[in-house]
Amino acid sequence: MLIAHRTAYLLSHRLCQIYRINPTSNMSLDSDKEAQIRHQRESELKRKAYRDMKEETRKVLKHARIETPTPEPDAVGLPRKRFYRQRAHSNPFSDHRLDYPQEPSCMEWQKLYPHYFDETTGTMSKNVEIADIGCGYGGLLIQLATAFPEKLSLGMEIRVQVTQYVEDRIIALREQNKDAEQYQNVAVLRGNAMKFTPNFFFKGQLSKMFFCFPDPHFKQRKHKARIITSTLLSEYAYVLREGGIIYTITDVEDLHKWMAKHLEEHPLFERKSVEWEKNDKCVQLMMNSTEEGQKVERNKGSKYVACFERLPTPEDCD
Amino acid sequence: MKHPIQILIADKSGEHIFASVTNHLLVLRASDGKLIGSWVDPVDAQEFQEKRFKARMEEQKKKEEANEDENAAKKLKNNKKEPKVPAPGPGAPTIYNYIRSLTLSRDESYLIGTTDSDKAAVIFKIDYSQDNCLSLVKRQVFPKRPCSVLTTLDDEKVVVADKFGDVYEIQGKDSAVVAEKDLVPILGHVSMLSEVIVAEHDGKQFVLTGDRDEHIKVSHYPKSYVVRNWLFGHHEFVSCLQICPFNEDILVSGGGDDYLLVWNWWEKKELAKVELRELVAPFLTDSHLPPERFFREDSPREICISKVRVYEQGDQKLLVVLCENTKCILTFSFNEDMSLTHKQTLSTTDSIIDFVIVSDAVLAAVDVESEDNLLQLFRFDDSCSLHHEDSDLTKVISKSVECEVSGRADFYPLYYISSLRKRSEH
Repeated sequence: MLIAHRTAYLLSHRLCQIYRINPTSNMSLDSDKEAQIRHQRESELKRKAYRDMKEETRKVLKHARIETPTPEPDAVGLPRKRFYRQRAHSNPFSDHRLDYPQEPSCMEWQKLYPHYFDETTGTMSKNVEIADIGCGYGGLLIQLATAFPEKLSLGMEIRVQVTQYVEDRIIALREQNKDAEQYQNVAVLRGNAMKFTPNFFFKGQLSKMFFCFPDPHFKQRKHKARIITSTLLSEYAYVLREGGIIYTITDVEDLHKWMAKHLEEHPLFERKSVEWEKNDKCVQLMMNSTEEGQKVERNKGSKYVACFERLPTPEDCD
Repeated sequence: MKHPIQILIADKSGEHIFASVTNHLLVLRASDGKLIGSWVDPVDAQEFQEKRFKARMEEQKKKEEANEDENAAKKLKNNKKEPKVPAPGPGAPTIYNYIRSLTLSRDESYLIGTTDSDKAAVIFKIDYSQDNCLSLVKRQVFPKRPCSVLTTLDDEKVVVADKFGDVYEIQGKDSAVVAEKDLVPILGHVSMLSEVIVAEHDGKQFVLTGDRDEHIKVSHYPKSYVVRNWLFGHHEFVSCLQICPFNEDILVSGGGDDYLLVWNWWEKKELAKVELRELVAPFLTDSHLPPERFFREDSPREICISKVRVYEQGDQKLLVVLCENTKCILTFSFNEDMSLTHKQTLSTTDSIIDFVIVSDAVLAAVDVESEDNLLQLFRFDDSCSLHHEDSDLTKVISKSVECEVSGRADFYPLYYISSLRKRSEH
């Protein structure tokens, strides 16, 4: 889900083609294209208006504690995905305007998890332990909230609108499940995990990292843009505690082999057995709860899973 | 008129000076400025591209011929025209045939440079008994442009950082070249690297890397897959890292921020922050403003630190600092607690491109349109203050520079660190 996938890719590709049509090329085709472009602009405006409306709600609710008065009921309905759709790819090397803490100790986690903030001591009662890198529309993240009610989970997503969707979704779920105090333990933020993971987490802070349906970056020259590379694995190993698990799932066999190969070759990771995968509840969640996973299911595609344990740091490396 | 000197380094004894001007390398004796070694990079960027492209096409052709039958049908469909040798488009940045970085091995018997033309590291054996003390050992081509190199403690390996964020190691002393596709990075950033350093603590080695985001990463070496920690403190790119010779746990870092940071990198502690804005402000010009596209009414003139070096005299320890494209050299003295006290702002007549500390003097390459003097010499007096000194050395050295240009317009870019600054739009 990091950034997904071929259907989305084809769709966005088609849109690009439509936009690039030269208006002077053909008169009869022209009016047709123009109408299409006009139509697209209109729908984009509509989506924008919807997101703006949601943003207002978000502003009110984002930093609100659980005791704040309930806002208008329709404002906290579950957001609708179609207003937030965004091109499935994002360039991880570009200089996005991102908010990230200068170092992990500067991170104001209380803004994301107000429920776990102890005002008397000014500290968080829990730290984030599970990270869903490239959480997409948040299917897995939402499941993690109830599957691990005692742990804080964080979704990271690089696309602005998709992040807003997940944010709105969490706000709505928190509001709807106020009595049970659910979904207080999940949050999402926009970020570039390939560049700034160590800005968010201390050494050994995480126990699980998920990489679900990442952007396959098929072209060979784009392989460095993949979320699993041997050099990035060293950084993931830094934020993962010993015994922590990296979960990967994809429907692209080539990418699966590539990820498994790089993880297997990395001295700090060891593959978990198929038996282990069968009995692990996260693998089940990952297979079935993500939006991409469900789409693959509908299209009767295959899903490839590989899980790896973070091995102890060699003794001669303090 | 001669092209200004772009890089200056010297050996520890201060007996030999190494300089680069465009694609020329010069080795000079410090006592009298005599030229004792030289090398001109024969590779032209465009030619190299074409050659590489042709080689690739050849290979493909061979492959196709090998399985001719299978592809026969396909070929009929596709084989309409020969692919053209790609030429850079009108908006493409010019590739200059110059040497981007220059380093000596620890035992000072090898000189290592990196070239922009073919993205290579060039390693030379230095032998002062020869007429030309430089002899090329090998030329290792990398997939992306290398920008910083350093040898390991035993000089056996050369650690190379590139502009794609990857760090490689190659054998330093033999002439064997590794095929490009067999090079595997030993560590990497998802950001352009600006400097790499191999540091030591208790006999163990560490690789310190600085990048265009604000990260300084400390990795173990040779187990470079174990990250030890990051040093967080910069808000802008990091462009220079310098280990203090008097205490190898002390690191000075600088870049696009208005300050320098002094670290104990081993203990992961920031020891001091040195503000430069007030000191440098009088020397900043409109050339330090952001490019037009990003310029706003309130845009400040930007500081980029291009070099920091340590000078020791008796028990005095000094830090010499150069900000890119300024007509000044700043010196600071180290206090007991590693904080720094400003000592001197030496203003110069011309902008300084690079400098090197040679014995008790600072030799600076200056940005001048000159036929006979491309350098200036500043000597430390007994109280560690720098004074300009007229010296024949600068003229003798300048005489050895053979790169004639017709004017300033033909200069290669002398200041490129400022282009590292991130200007995000979305």
